[in-house]
Amino acid sequence: MAKILINHLYKIYGKEKHAVVKDFNMEIKDKEFLVFVGPSGCGKSTTLRMIAGLEDITDGEIYIGDTLVNNLPPKNRDIAMVFQNYALYPNMSVFENIAFGLRLRKTPKHEIEQSVKRVGRVLEIEQYFSRKPKFLSGGQRQRVALGRAIVRNPEVFLMDEPLSNLDAKLRVQMRTEIIKLHKSLGVTFVYVTHDQVEAMTMGDRIVVMKDGVIQQVDTPEVIYSKPCNTFVAGFIGSPQMNFVKGRILENSKTKKLEFHTNRFALEIPENAVRAVIKNKQVNRVVTLGIRPENIGLEVLFSEVTIKGIYKLGELMGADRYLHLDIGEEQPLVVRVNPSAAFSPDEVVSLALDMSKVLFFNSETGERLIE
Amino acid sequence: MKKIIKLLKLLKLPVMDGFQILITIQLVIFSVFMLLPIVYIFNHALKPYSELFIYPPNIFVRNPNSQNFNELFLVAASSAIPITRYLFNSVFISVGSVVGITFVSILCAYPISKHKFPGHKIVFSIIILTLMFAPEAVQIPRYLVVSKLGIMNTYFGHFLPLLAMPVSVFLMKQFIDQIPDELIQAAYLDGAKEFSVFLYIIVPNCMPAVATVAILAFQASWSNIETSTLFMQDDEMKNFAYFLSTLTNNLTNNVARQGAAAAAALIMFIPNLFIFLFFQGKMITTMAHSGIKGSEKSGKKSE
Repeated sequence: MAKILINHLYKIYGKEKHAVVKDFNMEIKDKEFLVFVGPSGCGKSTTLRMIAGLEDITDGEIYIGDTLVNNLPPKNRDIAMVFQNYALYPNMSVFENIAFGLRLRKTPKHEIEQSVKRVGRVLEIEQYFSRKPKFLSGGQRQRVALGRAIVRNPEVFLMDEPLSNLDAKLRVQMRTEIIKLHKSLGVTFVYVTHDQVEAMTMGDRIVVMKDGVIQQVDTPEVIYSKPCNTFVAGFIGSPQMNFVKGRILENSKTKKLEFHTNRFALEIPENAVRAVIKNKQVNRVVTLGIRPENIGLEVLFSEVTIKGIYKLGELMGADRYLHLDIGEEQPLVVRVNPSAAFSPDEVVSLALDMSKVLFFNSETGERLIE
Repeated sequence: MKKIIKLLKLLKLPVMDGFQILITIQLVIFSVFMLLPIVYIFNHALKPYSELFIYPPNIFVRNPNSQNFNELFLVAASSAIPITRYLFNSVFISVGSVVGITFVSILCAYPISKHKFPGHKIVFSIIILTLMFAPEAVQIPRYLVVSKLGIMNTYFGHFLPLLAMPVSVFLMKQFIDQIPDELIQAAYLDGAKEFSVFLYIIVPNCMPAVATVAILAFQASWSNIETSTLFMQDDEMKNFAYFLSTLTNNLTNNVARQGAAAAAALIMFIPNLFIFLFFQGKMITTMAHSGIKGSEKSGKKSE
């Protein structure tokens, strides 16, 4: 059993009282794969290092299992950590690197031999056992680092951007291997990354952080479809969600609420109307958010159409991203079939799936919810 | 030009442009110049008396013979204390100092580099500051310390004044700075205590610096006559370097025993040469590390 409980965690640096982590509260469930994601400097690594015991806690409490670990040294926390630069001991062979933790714990020799060989088989690094880390490729080093972590059978696994030093292809491969590893080991994983793709694909739950504050904690599906604010909405998903500012006005004829920009007006769907009214945003400026895949070229899934001027197209292979000028600061990005090609400044008519549209408070960035 | 390139290819040398060739030639000339004293020591030791005092001096000996060595052995044989005793003292003191200085330096450098305790910068600055004192300035205080400790005429009297070596602490600290913090943290997570980290991670990873410090320590103690002159009254406690210095010192006639001195200079020099040749590769690593810190560190991270 190794749930992790974090209560009112703070990390404050230096005399200027710069808070890197502010009032961090959460419970990480046993056997969960939890991902911390956020831009660099958001405090995700610091939080992880506080769980590991490598960083002092300014204020708050961390429990691993039922033990308060605030003052426990790292070695007594029953955790293992994989570092971004692998941190393999350059003076030791691969075998010794993996065995080092066991040796320090005075494990009998034959057990060390057995455990290291077992780990070697699982990670397919047996043939490199006698090599020094500097003669290994990045992917092999990564495996050794993982091996060093799993050989001790810890209750909690901490990973600090373990894939960011690998090339793109290897990263995808290692991603699936780590997921498999999590399934087979059945222990708690806490994973830090700045890559939203890693977060989406790997995590049971995702913690989105910004400036040391948790923005949202939820499953990847909820984070993607119902982000709690414009930061989360913009950070998760590629290409980014489109944001359009406009005013909510009542149509004098139909008596229905509409979203007005200086170029177009859109009728607001039923569920959104309730949220807008509840948050008293009628006659006020709000931010509309819509993902690029919820906009189409034909009147396919919606009758709601707007016009945009084609500026730029990015072919991604399976998709084409169109950048369109709709009279806002930011161009509207639309994800379409790669066969759709336009000439510059051509007027394109677009269909919006209004059921997927989200509204945010334009001042606080919070999503308007019922 | 084409002929030169052909020649370079024939000799399996890297092909260079004109400027690089110029620089290379210049460097070769410099290195030959740097080699001169060593060549001179070897030749000087083999010169007969007739050649020793020629002006201008010859670099290369014309009639090499072993006369100087014979003279040295004669002097040595006639001394009250057997020369082997001096040699034993020197070897014992040098080996002891090398081990002691290396150990003390690395023990001192590790916390300054990796455990940022309050005031670590001041401590390091003070250590560096001591480099500025001329040895003569500390002779009297050093004498007082040694005499108050009551270690006159003991081997401790030889070791102790050498033990604190700011240069080696500096080199060690700069080198340990290169070791990524993650390595130490990984060891903590693996269950290492402070001393295990030091022994299994820090020491093996700064072997180049250890080698450099060992060379410096050896040189400092092997040729050191200060401790023998000041702190040792008994002749059997003095070292080989001191014995050799007495060959020409305090003689009214400054021609006598010059041959023996030349042979002695060679004998003094040879251990230094071998130690340097043995450790030189590692020494160069250290010097490179302590100079360009930033680029080395980023290089390590990206690999």
